[in-house]
Amino acid sequence: MSTFFQLVIEGLTIGSFYSLVALGYTMVYGIIRLINFAHGDLFMVGAFIGWTVLTTLAATHVPWGLGLLAALVIAMLLTAVLGVAIEKVAYEPLLRSSRLSILITALGVSLALENGVLLIYGPGFNTYPHLLTQAGFSIGGVEINDAQIGMMLLSFLLMLGLYIFVHHTFVGTAMRALAVDQDAARLMGIDVENVIRLTFLLGALLAAAAGVMEGVYYTQINFFMGFLLGLRAFTAAVLGGIGNIPGAMAGGLLIGLLEAFGAGYISSRWTDVFVFAVLIIVLAVKPTGLFGERVVERM
Amino acid sequence: MTNIAATRRGVPYAIAAASILAVVVLPFVSSSYVIDVATTIITFAVLGLGLNIVVGYAGLLDLGYAAFFAIGAYTTALLETLGHQPFWVTLPFSILFAAISGIIIGYPTLRLRSDYLAIVTLGFGEITRIVATNLGITGGPNGIYGIASPTFFGHALASPRAVYELGLGFLAVVLVFTSRLTRTRLGRAWISIREDETAAEAIGIPTLKVKMLAYVMGAVVGGFGGSFFAARFGAIDPTSFTYLQSVTILIIVVLGGMGSTPGVMLGAAIVAGLPEALRFLQLWREFVFAIGLVVLMLVRPQGMWPAPLRRRVTLPPLAAEDESLVPIAVEPGTSDVLLEVDGLSRNFGGVRAVNGVRFGIRRGEILSIIGPNGAGKTTVFNCLTGVIRPTSGRISWLGSSIVGLAPHRVVGLGLSRTFQGVRLFANMTVYENVLVGMEPRYRTSIPAAVLGLHAASEEDRRHLLSCRRLLRFVGLEERAGERAGDLPYGDQRRLEIARALASEPRLLLLDEPAAGMNPTEKRDLMGLIRRIRDGGITVVLIEHDMMLVMGVSDRIIVMDHGEVIAEGTPAEVQRNDRVIDAYLGDDEQETDGELRQEELSAWDS
Amino acid sequence: MGLLEIRDLHVAYGKIEALRGIDLDVAEGEIVALLGSNGAGKTTTLRTISGLLRPRSGQVLFAGTEVNRLRAHEIVALGLGHVPEGRRIFSSLTVDENLKLGGFLLRKRPNELTRRAQSLYETFPRLYERRTQLAGTLSGGEQQMLAIARALVLKPKLLILDEPSMGLAPKLVHMIFSIISKIRAEGVSILVVEQNARQALRTADRAYVLESGRIALAGPARELASDRRVRAAYLGGDATAAG
Repeated sequence: MSTFFQLVIEGLTIGSFYSLVALGYTMVYGIIRLINFAHGDLFMVGAFIGWTVLTTLAATHVPWGLGLLAALVIAMLLTAVLGVAIEKVAYEPLLRSSRLSILITALGVSLALENGVLLIYGPGFNTYPHLLTQAGFSIGGVEINDAQIGMMLLSFLLMLGLYIFVHHTFVGTAMRALAVDQDAARLMGIDVENVIRLTFLLGALLAAAAGVMEGVYYTQINFFMGFLLGLRAFTAAVLGGIGNIPGAMAGGLLIGLLEAFGAGYISSRWTDVFVFAVLIIVLAVKPTGLFGERVVERM
Repeated sequence: MTNIAATRRGVPYAIAAASILAVVVLPFVSSSYVIDVATTIITFAVLGLGLNIVVGYAGLLDLGYAAFFAIGAYTTALLETLGHQPFWVTLPFSILFAAISGIIIGYPTLRLRSDYLAIVTLGFGEITRIVATNLGITGGPNGIYGIASPTFFGHALASPRAVYELGLGFLAVVLVFTSRLTRTRLGRAWISIREDETAAEAIGIPTLKVKMLAYVMGAVVGGFGGSFFAARFGAIDPTSFTYLQSVTILIIVVLGGMGSTPGVMLGAAIVAGLPEALRFLQLWREFVFAIGLVVLMLVRPQGMWPAPLRRRVTLPPLAAEDESLVPIAVEPGTSDVLLEVDGLSRNFGGVRAVNGVRFGIRRGEILSIIGPNGAGKTTVFNCLTGVIRPTSGRISWLGSSIVGLAPHRVVGLGLSRTFQGVRLFANMTVYENVLVGMEPRYRTSIPAAVLGLHAASEEDRRHLLSCRRLLRFVGLEERAGERAGDLPYGDQRRLEIARALASEPRLLLLDEPAAGMNPTEKRDLMGLIRRIRDGGITVVLIEHDMMLVMGVSDRIIVMDHGEVIAEGTPAEVQRNDRVIDAYLGDDEQETDGELRQEELSAWDS
Repeated sequence: MGLLEIRDLHVAYGKIEALRGIDLDVAEGEIVALLGSNGAGKTTTLRTISGLLRPRSGQVLFAGTEVNRLRAHEIVALGLGHVPEGRRIFSSLTVDENLKLGGFLLRKRPNELTRRAQSLYETFPRLYERRTQLAGTLSGGEQQMLAIARALVLKPKLLILDEPSMGLAPKLVHMIFSIISKIRAEGVSILVVEQNARQALRTADRAYVLESGRIALAGPARELASDRRVRAAYLGGDATAAG
């Protein structure tokens, strides 16, 4: 039984990273129906910016807590700028073209980000400073360390913040409105292109936060990490019902759990088969995902 | 003979001839490195042509295409190394297994929306790769090696040049196969689905089956390419069948030009050749390639060599004076009533769009359904044609219920329709639009058409003749080779009618046929509707233009608020008080501006 | 000077010309009706005025500003309210959220926005009763009320309405038109596209008839209502005894 709970803790920790990244996929899809293949790479870029800040500060005598905060904030801000720049340069001109051309552009951006980081940081693994102790506590044989608690708490706070923004602020309402009907949103005086950019910005913020957390948690990062995580996060978004924000959060946690259980009870080599098989079965039974809203029928 | 020639039709031929010459001469003048790169380009061209069927023609997003490539490669590798079968024996098995996996993965998922399909195919691709990586029989991460080179009449095809030539042979086979396939009615059906799936289904295309065929045909080509890949290298391992490989093939198709054969080959040359040409950039190569890809898509979102319209068509001759519609055999009816509707209701969210509607359609009449916008007229049409399912109620066609039938089945029974907003396949030519509409009438099989059997080409000729007849009937014969989306509104409306007539319906439902027409065109339309009826086809129309409705109808049904409020001859309907009140309006009600004053009194701010 | 002046406006979808050079004016305080059959270009005209479509050539002057090149939300800020065809309310948002979005440009002045929303709720008590419901669950008439209310939050100078009576019961149609008259009485000019020509001509001061992308007829509503061609095409045929 303790193995089970151990896996739950493990799964929720990874899952919270997936959730943060899945939110970016789902928000962008909800608004412009684009599977933003470059999104997972923003997570990777965030991890590298965080690494740069942390290793730079490590040479000085900044306390590590402060350094971590700086790494998180700077990574989030710079990645957000990058996310918006990508939207402006590579996606906005194609918003009215065929959906496949913008999809291929996203693939191109993804490759460019990966190879750009490869050029700057090299092909090997970069190692985050070991900031987290293994200290923790144990309940009934289940080991929970402080890092896991911290990660989950931070993810939760970020997601809560996003939820409040989207559901309880004016601009968030505008965002949901233009996901329903862009032209009607324009007629309300909403600068639709601006709100789309804001969506990319928010997605990039969360992805970068997840990137830094992943770096701190696993300590090993490389230019290819965004691809693998992006794939799972995207799966999480679809599983939860793409376009659906709480769905993406739940989907991420669920994928994390599936991964942990798959690795714990079957074999880590088969984890992805397990994850994708569940996805395919869910979609076959419920074609709009677990929490997917039914598409409004029109006459 | 009507021969509508494309402008500069010689140019593509010149380019094709030059390319063939270059490709044949290449091995004699190049280093083995260049030949090797060329062989890679050929492999990608084969895969691109296969995926092009799925993505370019049918418009289905597939992110796991490398799975079929893998299945073909592993089948050949295993049958050769374990089964000791020669390459040529393994080939059909590769194709077979790829096709079977296409069916297994396609069947449950092709109902999903395109984006969900993307992730499912992605998952399938990953599952295939991981299985290959983890199973013992597939050699795990090391893969399978020691696959013998194929032999050709006793000659081992092992040198780079021989492999290159084998690849050319494979490419030629795939080129012939895909170009013949896409020229059949199946090819047209795929494009129609990509253009407008709902409209395609509603004019008689069995869209699920057709999508399935696209998926399986794509799989077959992928498996075929996989066999070549295994034979070329003599060793395979899972790293050749990653998600990145699937994405690369997708890039080839979209970058080249969806649905365009030369485009896909150009795309393959760019995607497989450009990184080689960029070798001098060393580390920067991939990065520059990625940026280049983004820039190319921004500059040419439609692809480098977009598919041209198939403008050239030779319609069989038709006597100049022959202006008849295809003669419809009016079979002796058991009853006078073609279609009966009873208690029909349909809700949308909280709104009851149609509420307990009841009426019958008599054989040979022109019946108009009128009523204000939003009265539920189009919803009734959609229920009759199976586009939406009624919430409750009965619809019977010649005595048997058609509720719950897929739209293409309803068309097959003889009920055809047009749409309120024009829903032509805008990027197809005028005559192709009509040919797509003939799908329910085809009797010969797709393989017969691919092989060019006499029965199939005979049938094609017959349908082309009937296509010409229909175009003449609606007055569009001269515009057969034009892009449907470029026609003026009035012509688009008439083309939609021709397309609906192409299935030889017994009942034609026209949804606002006069919308967007000027008075002259409306008068012509009245004549056209009468001629259709005289050809033995019952006509039901939804229309707002009262001149047209009153002039052409035998009978009128008036709907308001989802209910039938009146029924009768034009004269009766015009006298009906409820109709005047609800729709035509009434001059005597001048004073009602004061209505509900209390509700409005608080208008201040 | 007119509030809205359209000069030689051409709009095309690809190669298809939807508007082939129309001229149209709305003066301050006027109700103008735009009539025509489906597909004649009425909706295209309205969408071009509000910046959802770009004209191929010609000019749209609104409140003295040339708005052809402005983006839709900038035109809204100049004082244009547009109630689109089919209402287009945000079905998965609540009634209150829909109404407040109508005041998106007032978001920095929440008190003013609340005051205006309150005043609109007083005008449409039904909406107030349903303010926490998802807008998609409203009846057709209520949705139309919401669409109109939403367009009034910013107190537009000109309100354009696209088929406001579509799908509504006759009584509700009368009510919508009384509301339109009432809105005009508050000093808002109105341009209305309407299929119910009789009702529209009764409420409007002037009207235009659009046919295949051109203005076929224009004049005072009363004159058009008795015009033989208008009666034949839009008022139920000249044979109609009741006409």
